[in-house]
Amino acid sequence: MDETWTLTVRAFTILTTDNPSFSVLLFYSRLGSMPGMASLDWDTIAILVALGAFPVSLALTRFFMYWNSAHGIVGIDVHKLARPKIPEMCGAAVPVTLILFAVIYCLMAGENWIPFTAYSLVVGLTAVVGAVDDRLKLRGIFKPLLTLFCGLPLLILGLEFPGQVYDPTLRVPLFGGYHLHIIYPLTILIVISVTSNTVNMLDPLNGSMSGGISIVSGGLLIGLLLTGGSSSSIFLYASLLFSLLGFFYYNRFPSRAFSGNVGQLSIGASLGALAILGKTEIASIVAMFPNIQNSFFFLSRIRRFTEHRELKARPTRLLEDGRLASSEEPAAPLTLVRTLVAGRPAKEEEIVSDIWGLFLASTTLAVITLFLMGVML
Amino acid sequence: MNERVVAYQLGIFVTQWALMILGFGILTRIVAPLRLVALNLPFGSYFDASVKALVALALSAIWLFVWDRQVRFYFYRRRT
Repeated sequence: MDETWTLTVRAFTILTTDNPSFSVLLFYSRLGSMPGMASLDWDTIAILVALGAFPVSLALTRFFMYWNSAHGIVGIDVHKLARPKIPEMCGAAVPVTLILFAVIYCLMAGENWIPFTAYSLVVGLTAVVGAVDDRLKLRGIFKPLLTLFCGLPLLILGLEFPGQVYDPTLRVPLFGGYHLHIIYPLTILIVISVTSNTVNMLDPLNGSMSGGISIVSGGLLIGLLLTGGSSSSIFLYASLLFSLLGFFYYNRFPSRAFSGNVGQLSIGASLGALAILGKTEIASIVAMFPNIQNSFFFLSRIRRFTEHRELKARPTRLLEDGRLASSEEPAAPLTLVRTLVAGRPAKEEEIVSDIWGLFLASTTLAVITLFLMGVML
Repeated sequence: MNERVVAYQLGIFVTQWALMILGFGILTRIVAPLRLVALNLPFGSYFDASVKALVALALSAIWLFVWDRQVRFYFYRRRT
């Protein structure tokens, strides 16, 4: 483990500081005149730059693991018999990486800074809300309320610079599209709140959120590449994918780092903001079907916004052999995990595989949706 | 992997996906072109948009209701 860590740090240090050719590569790629690079289009360059998010996120997660452990910021893994203490809030590595790479790409590619600023502000603000919730343990209602305001940068910059942040025409697969010049801006606030909170609600098991959202962002990235999305959207999806993979390395089963609300909310908000910036609204809804099901059934049973820690009846129970079983209590919420163990207890890693399988299926449908955007009945 | 549960879930997702595209189709082809009030009236465009948003909301509620029935039928019919 330590060897891997040392190698990663060395590789990153060499790439960024000891090797001036990296900065030269960036410079030439901007000019598009480097020998051998001239044939690369901007989509390829965007993905190559976004690849850097992986080691940065990996290094930052490792840093937060060390720092948060040392400062007593730990949570208990309740789905293990030994109930180990795991460093919390390590998901902060993802929003930091996303913002850093948005700035790098914007400077490098000479892109329009307005959508990148809106994206970075949305991710940053939701990360702050998550961090405050992690430290102060806010009541359940505050998270959806506060994240509602986190979409304001998209709305305000979109109104101030029309056509540069969002396009109020909703493209519908098979049926064309329609213009929503009044409703679309208003839904931006709701979209950011819903995506951030629904991602926040589906992270009960090791690696379920980071792995699941990696599948979503990877699938939508492939969809955009195949259907001709803009380079900036491709870059932002790729940087989300690679920064998530960096965090996933430590978050996968058995988890050595927990995301915390800071990571979950900002990752969800990033997906929501990308749906708007990348014009993948309907495909993103499809890709997030597992999240939607989980949140809808949780809310429909509990009938209020609440935190998992405040629930009287847990959706699952830990058996003596370490497997998870569906709760026997009628008042327990019908979460996705509870549905997956209905009638048959399973090990945590098996349930996580099932969740990833569902994300893979929903993301495949999302990619088909992107293809259908170009088809008219 | 719990094949039975995952297969049921996939069936639910595909059904909901088809219904969602159909719902957006209804909004695109039927609801959006409707002119409920003259747009040159004061707040006419806002009233028009509000009514159409309510229709979309009602369709979303029906969509979630179908989802709810499916999950309860496949997974919780003996329990709830």
